[in-house]
Amino acid sequence: MRPLRFAVLAVTLGWLLTSSAQEVRPPQYAVAGHPTTIGTSGEGEGTLYLVGPGQVIKRHVRLGSDVAIAANELGSAGRWIAILRAGGRSPSQVFFVQSGTPESLSFLARPSRVPVARPSVISGIAVVFDKFQNLVLQPTPVKFSLSVEGTEISQTVTSRNGLAWVNSSSARKAGAAQFVARAGDTSVRRVVQQVASDPCNLRIHMAQRNPVGVAFETDPVRDCTGNPVPDGTIVTFTQSDSRGRSTVDARLKKGIARAILPASDKAIITVACGVVLGNELHLGGAR
Amino acid sequence: MTPWSRILTGASDEPILKARDFRAVRFTILLLLVGSFAVLPPTTQGDSKPSVELNVEQAAPREVNETVAQAIARDYSAAWQALAAALADNNAAALNDNFVGFSQDKLVRRIQDQQKAGLRTRIVDRGHKVKAIFFSTEGATIEFEDTATLETQILDGGKVLQSERAQLHFWVIMTGAEDRWKVRVLESAPGD
Repeated sequence: MRPLRFAVLAVTLGWLLTSSAQEVRPPQYAVAGHPTTIGTSGEGEGTLYLVGPGQVIKRHVRLGSDVAIAANELGSAGRWIAILRAGGRSPSQVFFVQSGTPESLSFLARPSRVPVARPSVISGIAVVFDKFQNLVLQPTPVKFSLSVEGTEISQTVTSRNGLAWVNSSSARKAGAAQFVARAGDTSVRRVVQQVASDPCNLRIHMAQRNPVGVAFETDPVRDCTGNPVPDGTIVTFTQSDSRGRSTVDARLKKGIARAILPASDKAIITVACGVVLGNELHLGGAR
Repeated sequence: MTPWSRILTGASDEPILKARDFRAVRFTILLLLVGSFAVLPPTTQGDSKPSVELNVEQAAPREVNETVAQAIARDYSAAWQALAAALADNNAAALNDNFVGFSQDKLVRRIQDQQKAGLRTRIVDRGHKVKAIFFSTEGATIEFEDTATLETQILDGGKVLQSERAQLHFWVIMTGAEDRWKVRVLESAPGD
């Protein structure tokens, strides 16, 4: 029995020695887009698996040698697992790959259409990524600028946890505002259409009178900062007289709305656009 | 005449079920139940949605209301369920409803690489503790950090290459889409 016991002990010891020699040594510090090496130990051949958040790399390796991973191979930042499969065992190690330098931005700008001169109404969110679409967690300055018709406002915000955001007021001038986020050499542009706000000083006057009806029209309709209210905006004319009330909805055309109301000896004419009321005209009697 | 035929045809003056018949019926039902359990496919972890505890107290600049918080937690849970299914079956299509943008691109590549290498990843999801840190003013973008407890197995064919249970840390950005919140960024990072 003694020789048999010795043989079993020797085989077990041998297996333990050879198996414990197989190891995988990932890098202490790795950056996406940079070359790195994975160390292995042991004898013979095996298969190295590198399993990352957005990638898997498989290599046949000679144990005991370092495995070179090229710069363009290691693209995914985050938590990786290195597994060395050889001789029926598969020791593994966890390592982290950091994101590279900022090289792209994802820019969410809202809304796409906004009235002029409104405080904190435009929201811009920039998410900072490296060349391999990894979130850049290191603080990065992002410059937001909003320009329309030669006027520009800008603000620089340092990203936190990969994200920088800004709230901006809309400019006083209507038009297509260029909303740009810039980080380093990378910039992304979005267009925010700034449109005239509610009308200001809405006024009507009588344009023409005949036995059938009376034509009324507005003065050019503008908002409080002087921007013409867009054509197509509805203006409501209302006539109240002894027969009741007549209402006409007219669209702005070249900045002016026009309506023909029934002829009346004595009537009150009012005008409104959205929530804004205009002046009042009295026909017949005291005018 | 068997109790079943008496029940089905009603062709007898005897009471429909005698005491001894009850035993036969009970035995048959028991057999059927056992049989149905035997032929059903085994339940996988992917069939149940992982738990998500969402803390929105520190979200800024806008507060997250209760309804939105519930929707985000529900959709983030669904995203992890889809991710587990996609990695287990190497099926990138499973990601379509819950992932968008770079996060989807990266996971699709991971699945393609897994297929090439002959690997699969099995995830048993033990839940997520999520802390919101940013919620945009217009209410369409949220960023949060997630501490997830996951049991992961990497399989080569049917053989387990690597197995672990670990607490993992993720930075996540979700954006509101047409009918749900979708994961736009899912980035693993070292824990604090």
